[in-house]
Formats: sequence, C-alpha cells, structure tokens
Amino acid sequence: MLNIWRISWRNMTTHKKRFFFSLVAIIFGVSFLTAMLIADRTTSDVFRYYENMYVANADYWILSDEHTYSEAEVSSVINNPEVTNSLLALDKQGFFELNEKRTLQERSVRITGVSDQASSLLKLPVIEGSLDNQGFVIPKAVAELLDKKVGDTIAIEGLGTAKVSAIVEYTQLLASPDNWEDANSTSFRIMAPLDMLRKWTGMDNDISYMRFQTKGDGEELFQSVQQVLKDTNMYIQPVVADDLQSNDIEGLYAFFYVVAVLSICISGFIVFNMIYTSVMERRKEFAVMKSLGYLQRSVFRLVLVEMTLLASVGTLIGVPLGVWLGDIFMATLLSVFKFDMVYTLQWELPIIIASLIGLIFPVIFSIFPSFVAGKTPVLLAIKEANTNQPTSHRFLIRNILGLGLLGFLFVDSALSYIAILIASVLLFPCFVRGLKWVLKPVLELLFYFPGRVAVKNLDQQLNRNANTAAILAVGIAIILLLGAAIESAPKSIGKEIRETYGGDIRVTSESPWTQEDIAKIQSYESVTNVEPLAEAKPITWKTTQGEDRQFSVFSVNRNGPSLLKAEKSVYTKLANQPSVILGSRAFDEWGGHIGQTIEMNTPSGKQRYEVIDVVNTSHYSGYVAFMDNRHFQTEFGWSSAFDILLTVNKQTEQVRTELWNDLGDHLAKVQTLEEEIESTTSAVKGMNDLILIMLLLIILLASVGTANTLLMNTLERKSEISTMRAIGFTKQQVRKMVLLEGLLIGLAGVFGGIIIGALLIYVTSEWTFMEGFISFQLPFVNVILAMIAGVTLSLCAAWVSSRNVTSQNVASSLKEG
Amino acid sequence: MIRVHNVTKEYMQGQEKIQVLKGVNLQINEGEFVAVMGPSGSGKSTLLQLIGGLDLPTSGDIQINQQSLQEMNEKKRTIFRRRHLGFVFQNYQLLPTLTVEENIAFPIHADGKIRKRNQRSITNLISEVGLKGFEKKRANLLSGGQQQRVAIARALVNHPSVLLADEPTGNLDRTIAEDILRLLLTFNRKHNQTIVMVTHDIFAAGFADRIILFRDGVIEKIISRKDEDYAKYMAHFMA
Repeated sequence: MLNIWRISWRNMTTHKKRFFFSLVAIIFGVSFLTAMLIADRTTSDVFRYYENMYVANADYWILSDEHTYSEAEVSSVINNPEVTNSLLALDKQGFFELNEKRTLQERSVRITGVSDQASSLLKLPVIEGSLDNQGFVIPKAVAELLDKKVGDTIAIEGLGTAKVSAIVEYTQLLASPDNWEDANSTSFRIMAPLDMLRKWTGMDNDISYMRFQTKGDGEELFQSVQQVLKDTNMYIQPVVADDLQSNDIEGLYAFFYVVAVLSICISGFIVFNMIYTSVMERRKEFAVMKSLGYLQRSVFRLVLVEMTLLASVGTLIGVPLGVWLGDIFMATLLSVFKFDMVYTLQWELPIIIASLIGLIFPVIFSIFPSFVAGKTPVLLAIKEANTNQPTSHRFLIRNILGLGLLGFLFVDSALSYIAILIASVLLFPCFVRGLKWVLKPVLELLFYFPGRVAVKNLDQQLNRNANTAAILAVGIAIILLLGAAIESAPKSIGKEIRETYGGDIRVTSESPWTQEDIAKIQSYESVTNVEPLAEAKPITWKTTQGEDRQFSVFSVNRNGPSLLKAEKSVYTKLANQPSVILGSRAFDEWGGHIGQTIEMNTPSGKQRYEVIDVVNTSHYSGYVAFMDNRHFQTEFGWSSAFDILLTVNKQTEQVRTELWNDLGDHLAKVQTLEEEIESTTSAVKGMNDLILIMLLLIILLASVGTANTLLMNTLERKSEISTMRAIGFTKQQVRKMVLLEGLLIGLAGVFGGIIIGALLIYVTSEWTFMEGFISFQLPFVNVILAMIAGVTLSLCAAWVSSRNVTSQNVASSLKEG
Repeated sequence: MIRVHNVTKEYMQGQEKIQVLKGVNLQINEGEFVAVMGPSGSGKSTLLQLIGGLDLPTSGDIQINQQSLQEMNEKKRTIFRRRHLGFVFQNYQLLPTLTVEENIAFPIHADGKIRKRNQRSITNLISEVGLKGFEKKRANLLSGGQQQRVAIARALVNHPSVLLADEPTGNLDRTIAEDILRLLLTFNRKHNQTIVMVTHDIFAAGFADRIILFRDGVIEKIISRKDEDYAKYMAHFMA
C-alpha cells in the first residue's frame, strides 16, 4: 500500500487553490483564537500586576476613621518583634502653584508623605530618577501635564517647594488625571518624604495610616491588635489584592471568549465545507481504492491525514500571527482605559492551548466528511451514480424544525440564544431562496442575463451557499449583539447612576465633615439638600471559599439618599438587626445565598452579618455592601463621614467653585453626577472601537469562507462555465456572473446577520436576567459597517474566484467535461 | 464559407512539444454537411475547436465568411462565436440550473435582450426538435436523446453560419443516434445549414456529404458522396 501521507500531500498540492483558502481560514481562526487567549491572560496579568504593586510586601495596615492619628499609637506595633518592616504615611491635600491660570479644583493635589519612598512596602515603578527621599515622586501623567522632569521643582501653594526626585509609571497609589478636564473632578496624587510634609503642615506626629510586614502570617498579632483597637478610632486590616472595586472587566473576558469561539467555529466550518466537497469529488477515487483493497478505515485515515497536514501548517503560521495580533489588540484595549498602563504579553500558555485547538479543531470538523469518504459505495461511485436522497423532504423538515426553534424567541432563558442560532442556520436555505426571489428582478434589470444566471446558480449548491452565508450572518449577528450591548451600556449605566448616586454632587473631604462645614454648605443658595455619606473602607471580608477580598461598606437609612435600588421594606429589615445588603458583583464574588452570613474585619473586630438582600447599585459597579446607619455606628464601629451628597437647583459649576473657595484646605474631590457618568461610561464607549475591529475581522474570516465556497462552486462547474463561454458568454459576462453569486451570498449573510442580530437583541432586551440592560435597538454604526464590509469583502472573495474561472482554457475544460 | 489554410497546432506536454495538426488545408462550402473522422489523437477535435474559435492555431489561418479568427481579440471572437457558430457536444453540456427554453435561448440572452422574433424562433425550434411541452423543464431532468435535441436547438437558435458538432451521437444508442442524425440532416437540407461533425462512427459519417479522414495531424483523404468510389470506400471502412 502506498504511503498514506504521500497520497494526502499529493492531493493537497494538486488542489492548491482550494486548500489554500482552507489554510487561510485555519490561519485566521487560529490567530484570532491565539490573540484572544493572549488578551485574556495578559489583561488579567496586567490587573494582577497593579494589584500586587498596590499590596507590595505589606501584610497589614492600621488606618483610622478620622483623618489622622498619632504615630505614638502604633509605636508598640512598629516595635513588635513580629514586625519586620513598617511604613508611615500621611495624606495632605494641597494645590499646585502653576504659571498658567488654572482653577483651584484643577490644581488640587493629594500629597502622600511616606517615611521611606524606597520601602519594600511600596512598589514604585521608576521610569526616571531615584527614590532618594529628598523630593517628590510623581507619576508620568503628572510629569507630562506639568511638563516636569527629574530635578525640576514643584511648588505647593502655602506649603513649600521641592524638586522632582523620580517619575514613575502608573500605579494605583498615585493614580492621577492625564488631562485638565479630568483634573476638574479628580485630584492629582504625588508622593513626598514624610518629614518634609510634616514640616510643611506642622502635623509633626500625625499619620494617616501605617503599613507593616510580619515574619509569618502575623495572624496572632493581627488578632491582638484588632482587639486593642476595637473601641478606638483606629482599625487594622490585612492588605488584600482585590481591585474589583475599580475594575469591572468580567464582561471583557466573556467578550474575548465569544470572539475566540466564533473565529474557530467559522474557520472550522470553512474546513468542513472544503473537505466535504473534496470528498464528494473524489468518490470515484475512493471507490477505486476500496475495490483495490483499501479498507473503510484506510480511506477515513487518508482524509484525516490531509486535514492533519493542513491543520499543522495552519497552526504553525497562525499562532505566531496571533501573538502579533494579540500585542496590537492589547495596546488598543489598554488605551481604552483612563490610565497609561503597561503590560507584558502573556503568550506561553495561550500558544500551547491555541496550538492544541488549532491542530484538533479542524480535524474534528473533518471527521464527518472523512467518515462519508470511508463509506463511499464502490459500485455506485465507480458508475458515478447519484446516491443522494431527494432533498425536498429534508428541506421541509429543516424549515419546520427551524420555525419551531424560533418559538424560543418568547422563552425567557439563555437557551433562546442557542435555539435562535440553530434555527437561523436551519432556515438559511429558505432565506436564501426568498432573498433570491426578491433580488432576481433587480439583478436582471441591472445586470440582465448574467444576473439571471447568477440567481439560478445559487440553487445548484443551495445548502453549501446558504451555510456560507449563514456563517457570515451568525458572525455579524453576534457582533451586532455585542455592539448593541456596548451602545446600550452607557445609557443603562447612566440610568443606574442617576437612580443610585444619591445626589447631584459628591464632595469628599480629607477629614470627616463637621457640622460647621455642613451648615456652611447648606447656606449656599443653589444647594437644596446636604446628606452625609459614611463609607467605611477598606473593609476586608471572606468569600464562602475562604478567600480574602476588600470593598467599601456604606451606611444607609430609609430616609437618606438613595444609594441602591430596593424596596423600602428592605431598609426596615436592615434596621431590625445588624445585617448587610450586598451589591450584585460583591454578592457573586462572595458566592453565598441570601440568609447566610458574611465574615468581615470591621473597625470593631471580626464580625459576621447576615446577607439579607442583593441589589443593583452604581457605587463601585456593585462591589459594595450596605448597612443600616444605626448599626453602622454601634455594631460596625464607624461614625465618621468623609463624603457628603448635595442636591442642587442650579448649575453645579457655581457650587463647585464656592466649595473650593470656602473649603479648599481640606477638600479632596468634588464630583458631579454627570462627571461620574462620563468617567464610568468612557471606557465602555472606547470598547465600541474594539467591537468594530472585531466585526471587520469576523467578516474578513467569513469572507475567506465565501471565497472558498465560490471557488469550489466554480471548480465544480468548470465544464459548465466553459460551455457558457463556448456558446457565447464573454469573459466579462462570466466574471459578472460569479461576482453576482458572491454578492448574493454576501447580501444573504449581511441581511440574515442583521435579522438574526435583531432577534438576539430582542431576546436580550426581554430577558429578565438582563433587567433591561439592553434596549431593543440596532447599533446603526455597526449595521452600516457590517453592510459595507460584508458586501465589499464578499465581492472581493468572488473576484478571486472569477479571476480563476476566466483564466481557464475553454477547449481543455470542455474536454474534461 | 470555411477556409482552413496551412494550419498547425502544437501543445507542450511536460517538456515535450506535441504537434497535433501539421499544416491542414481545407475548404467547406455553405450548406455542406461534412464529417471529420479519424482515430483517437489524430487531431479531428482540435480542428473543430480551432474552427469554433475556442483555441487559436499555432500558425496558419482560419476564415469563416471571409473573417479571420486570428485577427479578432478574445471578446470579438466570443461575440462572433455567439452570432455565427453553433456548438453541439458529445455530452450535451446543458446548463443544469436552466430550463429547456432558457438553455436554448442562452446565446440570444448573452447577446442582449430577447426580442419577439427571437421568441418566435425559439418556439419554432423547440417544436422542430420535438420538445414541445418540455419548455419549462429543467434540462438535466431529460433523457440523453432529449438533452441532445436541446443542445441542437441551442446551437441553431441564432441561425449560425456553421454548426459544429463534436461526437453528437457518442453517448447515445443507435436508434436515438439515428434520430439525432436525421434531425441534423433535416436542418442541413431544409435550412441549408452548414454542418461540420466530428465522429468516429462510420454510421454517423454516412449522413454527411463529405468525409474528411484524419491521421497523425494531416488529412489523409477526403471522400465525397458524389465520388464514384464512395460506396466502395465506405464498405471497406465499415469492414
């Protein structure tokens, strides 16, 4: 028996064009998959990196629910033999002194004085300069905005002047705005030597917090300190790496996987189409082989070997291409976020996974065609008799099944998505026929006879053409759904923020608000209401799996500002006993059920509270807890409010200016409701650009499928097309005909995609689980782009086939026929 | 009508140059029914393709109605073929997605919009080839003989100067083949249709006015029905 690999290789090299398109499809599929896997891992690595930078080597920290406390209060801890390292920090609000004219709020800066800038309890990613404890450490964003270099001086109004010792990359501790517009609502952050800041402010013994490292896990020390501090204004917390409060990116991971699965499925389908056609064409060859002694298994293996060869070559090229694509994708993705983050591409595991999938997936898709090849009936195939069963019966069943599955449109379940996608694929031949019927007069009118023949030709391989269009349609539909989600998100998020922000302006002070301050603000003409907002942070807690997490706990009451979406009865329940309500994301992360208790490290020590409800809230995207204000003070042990919520009846800018003028010496932040909405939704809006890129890539991949299908269609009809040429079709007419076939497939894919997309968006908008997150409306920019890209790329794909078909020699093709 | 002057045709087969036609000279007059015969590889089908403008000779000249095919570019040659030549192939080569009527009308459609007189001509042709009632049927659903009738009607729909038939009865049994040949003869006699038919079947060749015998790329002999030794030669050939 001949070497099976050699036969497979010869077949591949004989049908170069057909295998080329399948190879391109595998390369694209594998590279998109690799890119998405890399994006997934790199993104989580980036956030882990910044979390670890925030935690550094610190194990615990001692904070206060007042602004500061005396350093002497923690001297026993610092001197404890268990403590190996400690760092003292003092926060002070100030204003940059600038040559250009800027408002107070724009110049506002929070200076953190630290006892040792080079401490291992801090991790400052230095770009330039050194951590010499002599001057300021400023983030790159501040250096660029103020145009400062290492050695330049920075003056703080009313405090003093110091040189810039070091410029650092983005770090959570020094997160600062990188433009003046954002500076209007967010303070800059810089770091100074503690001694210098104390000297400037006269707060000689005060600190805001103390971080320390212990020898072992320090659990004993933690518990004893917790007991000691129980009835003071200070409290101890473990330092926990958990930035879920600032990053709501779980949806992003889902997005990566949707695109990855979609890509590999599309390329798998293209492979299936190619290999199935190849098998159908070579039935006689397989029959001869079987008649000469090949077993069914040998033929099956022969086809699988071809696919393995193709998958290997595709993976070999696709994976490195995917690494490159992943790098570009990550750069684009991180540019969406506000801060200038750095990343290291995490490619090792993704390339192993992508290689395995790249090798296995095309082979899986070719199992059925290989099986059909193995089953080739010898006599019938040699006689070239058609063994296919009549298809009208199958067509009818397919349509009935498809229509039945469409009934899931009205079922309130995730199953509806799968049902609609399957129904769409089943109904696509019928849809193509319908579209053909609608477009026939138009094409005949515009292109005359080639238009008519093109329309008729679609019927020849209806299922193959319909499947090709369906795959384009499914790709477009899913991307439209993602686009609709991205488009609806700002609106939904904005609505949620308006409902739960609690006021028009949130004002944060570096020290707790006094009655005097509140009275002053209440006297402003534009302010109609002032409500203190008590937020305990950071509060560490345990998931049901025993993992440490941290979030904020807000104090709420029935008559206070509305911070969450809940019935009034929930407030009554919350007031009855010390218990908490969790925000939806915190609830998911916790992993428990309503009625169970959650363990928290409160200022009053370790406590367990019953979780009585889960709610939606805009605060920290739902990664928070709420407690009744009475229990918050007595049981939880927190009495101060660093924030107030203002309700205003006039322009907020006037109030902002008044606040900074009157209370600027201790204001940390003044943020309006609109600014909160803008900052929360800006990242989501930025994601839309990525969705558009994904849309183009998916359409590009689907177009490879169209090119492949059209090429196979024209190769199969070589003799037929030569006859057309012989009896009078010019090359231009043939080319026009093939282009129109491509156009029809493209149009079917695009229109089908829009219809399926609309169905998916409808299901999502009606799904109770989504709670009205998406409204039923098509993302028009994406629709227009899908139409242009879908039709253009399908025409390009058809152009490739038309060139191939017109370059054939008519006389020799007729001989073959 | 058809003038083949000193035509040669060469192909490359791998590194080897194959000369299929070696200086062929031939003249076919209007209204003639000519059969081209010869063993496989003798060059008879190549000659038919060259006359049909499907391929170009390596050297020499082919003129149809005083128009040289070599002097036309590909597009002009296609349009010339569409308007002045008709093709009938051994395996019918009908377009499976089109109906009988659409297949027949293809060359007219390809040439532009169909007119009333064309429609009349199509209806008449369908009737003449005996396919009345089959107009709306898909061509690939007909029997072999019926398909070849469709092919003949398609070839004649534009009233071509020459009908070129390549083994038109090669796939048919004797009775049906005879029907097809009689049909061709009818068109030849009734409409003075010039026919050039390639065949290896002496029975089919017997319907022609002249038989051109090919061997190794050259014309070995041309015998005419009017020749004295026609009957003797045919008997010898059949034996």
